[in-house]
Order: sequence, then C-alpha cells, then structure tokens
Amino acid sequence: MSARDEILGRVRAGLAKGDAGSRRAAALARLQAHPPGPRPTLAGDLVARFRDKAQSLASTVEQVDDYAAVPARVAAYLAGLGLPAQAVTALDVAGLDWAAAGLAWRSGVAVDADPVGISGCFCAIAETGTLMLLSGASTPASVSLLPETHIALVPAARIVATMEDAFALLRAERGALPRAVNFVSGPSRTGDIEQTIVLGAHGPCRVHLIVIGENA
Amino acid sequence: MSVTRHNAAHSQAMSFTAQAAVKTRNPVLQKALQKAKPLFSGKRAKAIAALPDDGLEFEQLRDACAGIRDRVLGDLDVWLEIFEENARARGAEVLWARDGAEICDLVIDVARRHGVRKATKSKSMLSEEAHLNAALAAAGIEPVETDLGEYIIQLAGEAPSHIIAPAVHKTLAEVEALFAENHGRPQQPRTSDDIPALTREARGVLRQHFLSADMGISGANFLIAETGTAALVTNEGNGRMVTTLPRVHVVVTGIEKVVPTLEDFATLMRLLPRSATGQTISNYVSLLTGTRADDESEGPTKTVFILVDNGRADVVGSHYREILRCIRCGACMNHCPVYFSLGGHAYGWVYPGPMGSVLTPLYTGIENALDLPHASTGCRQCSNVCPVRIPLPELMHGLRQEQQRRGLRPWGERFGLRAWAWIAGRPRLYRALTRIAARYLNWLADGQGRIRIFGFAPGWTAARDLPVAGGRTFFEQYAARKRD
Repeated sequence: MSARDEILGRVRAGLAKGDAGSRRAAALARLQAHPPGPRPTLAGDLVARFRDKAQSLASTVEQVDDYAAVPARVAAYLAGLGLPAQAVTALDVAGLDWAAAGLAWRSGVAVDADPVGISGCFCAIAETGTLMLLSGASTPASVSLLPETHIALVPAARIVATMEDAFALLRAERGALPRAVNFVSGPSRTGDIEQTIVLGAHGPCRVHLIVIGENA
Repeated sequence: MSVTRHNAAHSQAMSFTAQAAVKTRNPVLQKALQKAKPLFSGKRAKAIAALPDDGLEFEQLRDACAGIRDRVLGDLDVWLEIFEENARARGAEVLWARDGAEICDLVIDVARRHGVRKATKSKSMLSEEAHLNAALAAAGIEPVETDLGEYIIQLAGEAPSHIIAPAVHKTLAEVEALFAENHGRPQQPRTSDDIPALTREARGVLRQHFLSADMGISGANFLIAETGTAALVTNEGNGRMVTTLPRVHVVVTGIEKVVPTLEDFATLMRLLPRSATGQTISNYVSLLTGTRADDESEGPTKTVFILVDNGRADVVGSHYREILRCIRCGACMNHCPVYFSLGGHAYGWVYPGPMGSVLTPLYTGIENALDLPHASTGCRQCSNVCPVRIPLPELMHGLRQEQQRRGLRPWGERFGLRAWAWIAGRPRLYRALTRIAARYLNWLADGQGRIRIFGFAPGWTAARDLPVAGGRTFFEQYAARKRD
C-alpha cells in the first residue's frame, strides 16, 4: 500500500466517521463561505494607525502628496543616512524619474551587491503596520529581501484595516494567489543570541515607507 | 509499529530523570535559562493584555483558534485531500512519508533528481524528527541551517533545546567560541554590545550559502487547503531566502498542519506571534503556492510538499487528539517551571516542555518516555496560556493513567497505589491507619513540625522538608472544631 493510502487510511480509521462524500461537501461549502473569525475594531484613521504600527516595528515612515515627489525624497533619505544613491527598483515603480533625483538605478531582480531596493506594494495593513507584497514578473520578491535597505511606496488609498481585508482585495483583483505573498513588517530581526534583538539578520537592516496620497 | 521504533531509536527520553540531575547542576545552562525566562513570559503577557485596545478578547480568539484546528482534525482525511488537489493544481508535487526514514529517502531522491549539492534550511522540527541533516550529509548533500539559532546549534553539533529559540541554552561566550572556530578567526573577549557584530558575521557567511544553494528546505507553520499553500512565519527572513533563491523548494511538514481558508490563517496569526514572542506579527509571513510563473525570473521551478505522519495519524482518533491542535508557539514551555529548571535537552527527543511531554510518548511509544508525563508541577500555566486550549495537564494525566493500566510503572509504585486505593475504599480502616500514621510522623518530627530526612522515601526530602500536622488527622481536627 502506498504511504499516502496508508496514512489516509489510518486517519479514517481513527476518525471512524464514514460517509466521506457528505463530509467533503461540507468542507467545500466552508471554503466557498470562508467566514472570518474575530476581527479588531481599529480606532482612528487607517493611515495614522499604519504609520504608528510600522514605526513601532522599527520602520521609518514619511508622507508625500504624490508620486512625482517620491524620487527626491528617496534621494534625500539615502543621503541623510550616508547610503549610496544606487538602487534596484521593481518594474512597477520603474517609471518614476529616478535619474532626475540623481539616483543610479536599474530595474528587475535584485542581486547580492544591490545596496538599496525600491518596491511598491499590493496593499498595506493598518492593524499591524504590514506591507503585502505579491511576487510576479514586475514585482520580484528579491527587491525587498537582498538589499540592506528596503524602501516601499505605499499609496494611502491601498491601506486596509486587517489581513482579512487584504485577502478580500486579493480575491477581488487577482482571484488566485501568486507564487509568493510576502507580508513584511519592518526590518529583518533575530533574538537568537541571548535573546538580544538585532535588526538585519538576513533581510534588510532598515525599512523606509513612503506613504503617498492627499489624505496622507 | 515501525514509526514508534524509528523514533524511539533516536530518543533519549528514558534518561529524563538522570538528565534532570545533570542539567540542574550546570551553571552555564542555568544562567542562560534564568536570563531567558522573564523575557518570554513578560513579552507575551504584554501582547495579550493589549488585545482589548483593538476590541479583541483573548478568550474569544482562543475559542476561534481551537475551533479552526478542531474542524480540520475532525475531518483530517478530507482536508488533506483538498489541500493535495489544490497544491497539485498549482504545479507542486505532493509526497507522503510514513516516518523519518521515509522523509530522508524522499528528500534525497528529490535532491538527486535535480542535481542538488547544497541545501539551505529554514527551521523545520520535522527535519529534526527525521534526523534529516545527517542523512543529507551521508548522501553527499551539504545541509546548512539558516535560522541563526539553528545555525549555532548545527555548528555545535547539538539538537534544538526550544522549538522557537533553538539556541536559548547557549551563552554569548559559547557562540563566540563556535564562530571563531568555524569562521576561521581568533577568539575574542565579547560583551553583549558585540551581539550585533556576531549576528552580522553570521549574516555574511549564510548569505553566501543562500546564494549558492540549489535547494531550499523549510517546514510550514500551516498548510492552507483552499489554495494549496504553505504558510511560513519567520523574523530573520531566512524563510524568504530559502523559498526565493534556490531552484528547488521542499516543504516538510506534519499532516496535522492543515487549516481550511486564508481567513482561518488570519485568525490563527492573531495568536501565534503574540503567544510565541509577544509580537503582534512576525516580521515575515510568506504564503507560498506552486512554482515560478512562466514570466518570472526568480523563485523555485520545482516545489515539493512532503506530508508526514510519523505517529500523528494514530493520535487523530485517540484520547490525546487535542494535542494535534498545537501550532508550535512555545508558550507552554515558556511558562513551565520544569522547562526553565532543565532546558529542552533533558526531554530527550525533538519537542520539550509540556507539549513535548505529551508528544514524545505518543510519537516514540509510551513505554519509551515513562518520566515525561510526570515532568509537571501541576501549576497549569501551560494550559492557561495555550492559544488553542490544549488541556496539557489532563493529557499528561491520561498518559500517567495509561502507564498504570499497562503495568509500566515500577512495582513499588503500582503496589503502593493499589494498597492505598484498597484502604481508601474502607473508611473505618482508612481513618484508623491515618491516625496511626499522623502520630508516627509527629513522633519522627520530634516536635520540630517538619521531617528533614524521610527514611522510607528519601527522594521526597532530598531538597526540602516534609511538614507534619501536629499528630492529628484532618478528620480528627474537623470533628474537634465542629464540637467547639
């Protein structure tokens, strides 16, 4: 007997329920309904909540009125920290005028030597101060992973309350999950040496969020 | 049963009592544990206390989380089939392993089929159950643990001592010695100010492994049936690295890890990080589905799920089924006075603390882990903090009863309990004998109110005194007070 059939057989023997057909129908009905569990009620506006939570997770946040203002703010952020004005950008944000702000840039998949990665996001979650990034040809996951500095552009209109709201947006706009959905909440961290928190374990050491929109 | 034999062969759970004596006398270990203890429980308490600020109640969330897990476990065969169908529909291969030996065979086979020479690993407790690293190395494939804690203990040649903080038993000085030896540099005196530099050193070494590995091996915190997805929760980002950079991704996980929907996953994520580390969310939460899309230039081109039994299927219909709700947060061990007196290694197999004291006997054989269900002070903190309401003290009690039923306890203990039960069922005899015993103990105590060394059972008084109650039984005192 195959391992699969033996394992499933033992599970069935343990459950002793019979009638797999009606149990399967009930399970599929559950998937159709996908009811949510207890969700938070967030006080105040979502942008402020997102900013506060992101900052509490060691991200830095600034706000601008529109996309045109972004490249100069990125250049100023990097200069302020003495970081190189050199970045790899995801293709979906490659259309901004990075060169005018004095940035040496290219778009595409990130490599080890890239000091800065600039990405957009699918949406952001106010409850936990989290970015939701989808993998894809124009949104490579490595841009938010390999560089020591990750800068993410967050349209204020794409800030939702909870992870459930983010999933609802994904179901509505994409239907299926991409290969990777990455929820990112601040810089990479570890506490594995004597429970001392250190930022920049394997991923970015710093995450800078630029919130874009008139109500920002 | 073969599963039990395989696991028992790798278990040292039978030497728990002997190991306990060694661990309590190890000053380096005790220092590490005492430092970690208040951090774990303090951070969790703060995170749970803040839930009402967002209109959430811990008890309500626990009910929801336990309900999700019970729903899956009550129809586990059906949910596994749905997961398998949806994972395959997205191009992943789904394989099944009865035990640790089959896990190793399957992973090595996938590695050979794809010409893999190096595998980077994100934390997987299943790979510890299987002793996968040793099997990979024997097959000529280099395994590299990339969770910083797992990396440290891989260098030390040890097993994890905690399910979410595998190197919690290691001090800074020990880490410095391991890094100096393995990274080819002289050893230096270090203070806690140097911890960022050591972390950076490991980052540099492990980054090169990430970039050069052909295969990534991870566990899964959950399998989402709706989408055929593996959910991975990490803080360091190593989980993202091993599932983004190598050509092949192998997920090794237990059959009990399925949850139905994305919404169910979102609910569980409200308690998992809070219970584990006191975080509202872990830094990286990744949902991994299928393989690289045709137009993508990164991500694995081959994704394999290995769904593992290794003792789980037989628990599904047993009296101990509630343990399968476990989401591996570590809160039970983080609040366990026994765990923090001994650390994780004393427990002898993969899982320490209260959840380990239930899982190890079930997965390795009750007769092969006799001490573990007794490794309890009865304080019930584990079940008070468990985010999925596992009645850990009751499950340990059930295992102790089963030891008695199967005649696995020592002769003296079995006889003693039987004799006590016989006497306790005869009230007049019981009162007469306890009157004699109370007076005898009082005489032994010699007016001191306590016995320093009790000759019949010296173990009871080795580290404490036995208080005595003035020579009169409870019944006598109660009757006397009633008269007054």
